[in-house]
Parts: sequence; structure tokens; C-alpha cells
Amino acid sequence: MSAIYHLKEIVKTRATNGTGFRLVIPSIRIEDREAIALVGYSGCGKSTLLDVLAMILRPDEAARFTFIPRGENPIDVAAAWTKRDQNRLGDLRKKHLGYVLQTGGLLPYLTVRDNINLSRRLLGMPEDGSVEHLAKVLEIQRHLGKLPGLLSAGERQRAAFARALAHRPSIVIADEPTASLDPITARKIMGAVMELVKEIGVTFIAASHDWAQIYKHDFRSLHQDSRERDGGRWIESTFKD
Amino acid sequence: MSSWRNIVSLAYSDYSHEWHMSACFILGLAAVLAPLMVLFGVKFGIITNMMTSLSEDPGKREIRPLGSSRYTAEWFASVRARPEVAFVVPRTRTLAATVELRSRSAPFIVPAELIPSGEGDPLLASSPQKPLGLRHIVLSDAAARKLNVAPGADIEASLARQYGGQRERVEFKLEVAGIARPAAFARPAAFTSLELLLAAESFRDGRAVPEFGWAGGPPVGAERSYPSYRLYARSVYEVAGLSQLLSDQGEKVKTNADEIETVLSVDRNLSIVFWIIAIAGMIGFSLSLGASLWANTDRKRRELSVLRLVGFASGGIVLFPAFQSLFTAVLGWLGAVLVYLVLEAVINALLGSHLEAGQSVCFLLPSHFAAALALTLVAALIAALLGGLRAARIEPSDGLRDI
Repeated sequence: MSAIYHLKEIVKTRATNGTGFRLVIPSIRIEDREAIALVGYSGCGKSTLLDVLAMILRPDEAARFTFIPRGENPIDVAAAWTKRDQNRLGDLRKKHLGYVLQTGGLLPYLTVRDNINLSRRLLGMPEDGSVEHLAKVLEIQRHLGKLPGLLSAGERQRAAFARALAHRPSIVIADEPTASLDPITARKIMGAVMELVKEIGVTFIAASHDWAQIYKHDFRSLHQDSRERDGGRWIESTFKD
Repeated sequence: MSSWRNIVSLAYSDYSHEWHMSACFILGLAAVLAPLMVLFGVKFGIITNMMTSLSEDPGKREIRPLGSSRYTAEWFASVRARPEVAFVVPRTRTLAATVELRSRSAPFIVPAELIPSGEGDPLLASSPQKPLGLRHIVLSDAAARKLNVAPGADIEASLARQYGGQRERVEFKLEVAGIARPAAFARPAAFTSLELLLAAESFRDGRAVPEFGWAGGPPVGAERSYPSYRLYARSVYEVAGLSQLLSDQGEKVKTNADEIETVLSVDRNLSIVFWIIAIAGMIGFSLSLGASLWANTDRKRRELSVLRLVGFASGGIVLFPAFQSLFTAVLGWLGAVLVYLVLEAVINALLGSHLEAGQSVCFLLPSHFAAALALTLVAALIAALLGGLRAARIEPSDGLRDI
């Protein structure tokens, strides 16, 4: 197997009023096409880690942050952050990444079809029926022409997954994608998503506090551990392989 | 390239999705711009009418000498060489510059003034005619009516003098080369070449004029001087400068400079007032649109973050509010033009009754509409800069989890 992420000694600090928060990653290596679950209580830094992995949040320190898209040379993401090369990171996200937020993240002024097609359009990919295929598997075909405002929460999450997968990225990152859904809808959606993840062959990294989901679908969990530092002034959260 | 097109199309989708917000911006712009256009239209209309009546009358451009002096050929050459001079010609002594005219088609003799003229005479500018010569003259309208002649007619002229204690009279033929507009000169007169005037003056002075075969004393030498002149500035704007120049040379002159200055200063003062109002209005509009775009950027933080997330470069994000601002500018300008055109028609219908045909109280040239659009675009771009700076600072992870 070949790695897609290789992270070493990464630190991200978030100062807040009162207690500070520090995310520490001694070492994480994620293999291509692996399914990873981040498990932990709310506020333990899952979203922060996902944003770092998604290359939208700059780590304060990074001994190594290498991203290796399938069949391509390793890319030094840490160096791109140091150089503040936002456009390089943007290009990487555009091509290799699909991101699903806890709620929505759809553009309210585009139809569901245009939302799903957004990354494909940005990449100049031709219309090849991918959008329809995804919509069919995720059961939102009849909503393609609607604006997201008219959809239920579950339908919006289905559309968000379709958008994250439409341009056949290397990685799909999902931040508690089913947290705002009822358990039955959540299970249905995740079932369809896992089917697509396997079909397309992407690396899937999801944060979830919903244990049931994780056991059901052969995810590998990263080990999370929190402790107080400096007499309670800092909370340090560690994720490890 | 395609990323540009994508931004334009996304910005447009958002703009039309939030059409009620967009309509507010557009109306806000039209509400500032339309009154400015009406104000400028009225200023431009009034000033244009005043300037037209000034510049249509060549008399307003004339600079007349007060009293008489001695002007040499060199003096005329130096004046003629000045760029602000449209026309200058020497006058001979007034008393010598008369002639009696008679035609076959009128029963009486018409005494007429002789006015020195030549190519480029502003008084003859709009009357077609053959060039003047020793025997070709242009009649004033009054003279032509009294003599009952048309261009091309032959007329008889006669001059009289007291010479050597005897009364002498010469008669000679002239051809009517053209007839001046009634407005050019009110009294019976003949616009003639300087040569004919000099011939008449020489005859009256008792000298011989070989060109006409008139006997007398020896002709005048080459160094001749003239008591007066006819002088016209190229435009009303140059009258004051030219008269100042002559005053500096010690000449006493009379002009319409005061009347012209009044119109010009009204134009200047109205322009200053207009520009103060226009600049205040445009700054106000820029700030209000800029503040709205700024607030909009905050409001749309999450959507802009999503665009960053899917890989739009920060430059593209700046263009997002910029394009929306341009949409507002163009549509607001269109709205203002429509409102202006309606108000222009109303104003001209209400106030235009005393004007001549073809004149309006309020009107604008196509270039003014273009200038209004250009100004609006500049104001909108300044506003977009405010919004864009805000948008560019959005980190992709910033607004993603805002509710």
C-alpha cells in the first residue's frame, strides 16, 4: 500500500477566552483508499485536524506534512503553508479533495445539479453523466433542478456528498456529516456513501461521535487523547495512528 | 480563463438569487445618479444656449478700436499671425469710405458705406459668394433690397471729389459677387476688397488711380498707414485675451468681453457647484455601496469560504464582490438614464416654450452618458475594493462552521 498523507509533529494552537486549545499530532500515516474515523467528544479537535488535513487551516508547526496524490510525486504541504502559497493549496483542494460539512455547505444560489457539478466545472471536466449517477445512488435525482433551500437536511447532506465525490477526488473528508440527521436517515445515507467510496476508490476520512456507524463500516480509528497542561490553562489533544 | 467565467457566472447567480437585495443597490445608485444627470443636463442646456447665441453672432467676437491711430502693414501682419485672430483687415478713413450705387432695376441712387472685407470675413461667413476683387463686391441685405439686385448683377458706382477747386465725379461698373445675411449689417453697405477702398480714398484725396484710369496727383507711396481696422477673435473665449494684448500695446479697444465673461463665469460657477454636488454624491454612493458589500461579505462569509474550500484562488474571491458591484453600476446607470430621459422630456416641455426651435433647457450629449457610466464604474470599483479586501481576508476554514 502507498501512503496518501504523512504527518509528523504537527501543532495547531487555538487561543480562546479562558482555556486555550492545542492540537498535537506526533505522527499519522494514512494509506491510499483507507477509511479513517476520528472519534472523540465534541471539542476534542476533530474538526481542527480535518481542516489541517483538508489544507484549509495552517498548522503552527509541522516537522512533516506530505501529501501524495495517487500516481503523483509527494507534495510538501508544510512548505506551501510556510510560503503562504494559498493558490497552490487551492489547486490541490480543487483537484484532490472533497469536503462534506456537518450541515449544508451548498451554495444557496445554485441548483442542486450546479452545486454537485461545481468542482467539475472548476476543473473543466466534461458532462459525462457522473452527476446523474451520483444523484441516483444518493436518491436525490428528482431534486437536481431545485435550490438547496427547498431540500430537507438529509437531502442536503446527500447533495453535499455528491458534490464531494463528483470530480473523483483522491480524498473525501467529512466532518460529522450525519450529526444533524436522525439515526435511520444517517444510516441510509452512510450506506450509500460507503458504496460510492468503494466504487470510486477514494480515501475517506470522517469525524463522528456516532460509534455505531464506525463499527458498521470497517473504519480505522485514530486514537485521541486529551489532557490539561499548565494547571488547566491549556487543553492538549493528541491524535495518533 | 474558465475560472474567470466561473466567478462571473457564480457572482451573477448569487446576484439574481438575492434579487431583492440587488434591486435595493440598483435603486440606491439610480437615486443618486439620476438627479445628478438632470442637474448637469440643465446646466449644460442653459450654458449651451447662452454660448450658442454668443458664438452665432460674429459681432460678439469683434474688437473695435476706440478713436483712430496709424496702423502700418507690419502691424497688421503681426496681428494676423496671432493664432487667436480669425480675421483682420485695415479700414480707410470713414469719410472717404462711401460710394453711391445705382442699378438698372431700381429707380434711385443708394448711398452705401464701403466696408473692407476679404477671405474669412466672419460677417460673410454664412453667405455663399465669389471672391472679392477690385470690381467684385458683396452687398449688405439692405443695399441689395434697395437696389433690387441679385448676385451676378452689374451695378453702377460713382464717387465725387473737390479737386483743384472743381467738383469731379467718376463712374465705374461693379459686379455683385454675393449678398450678406440681414444680420451681418443693418445699413446699406458694400463689402469690398481693400484695393477698392484704397482707390476710393486716393481718388478723394485728389490722387490718380491708374487701375481705374482716374487722373490726379501722384499716387501714394508704398508706406501707407491706416486709421483703423476690423478685427475678430477666433472664438468668444479669446476675446478677453486678445483685447488685453492690444491694451498692453497701448491700444484702446472696445469689446463684448464683459458679456462673454458673464456667460463664461456662470458656466464656471455652475460647473463648480455641479462638481461639488457630483463628487459628494458619488463618494456617498461609493461608501454606501462599499459598506453594503463589506457587510454582504460578512453575511456571505460561509458561502465565500465554500468557494475557497473548493479551490477558488483568493484573486477569484476578490472578483466576486467586484463583479456584483459592476452589475449594480451598469444596471443602476441604466435606471438613472431612463429616469433622466423622462425628466428631460418633462423639463423641456414645461420650460422650453420660450426657446427657439432646436434649443432645449435640459439636454446631454452621448459622451455625457458615457462619462456618467465611467464615473459610476469608478465609484463601484472603489466600493468593490472595500468589499473585496474583506473577502480576500477570508480564510477557507474561517466561516465554514458558522450557522
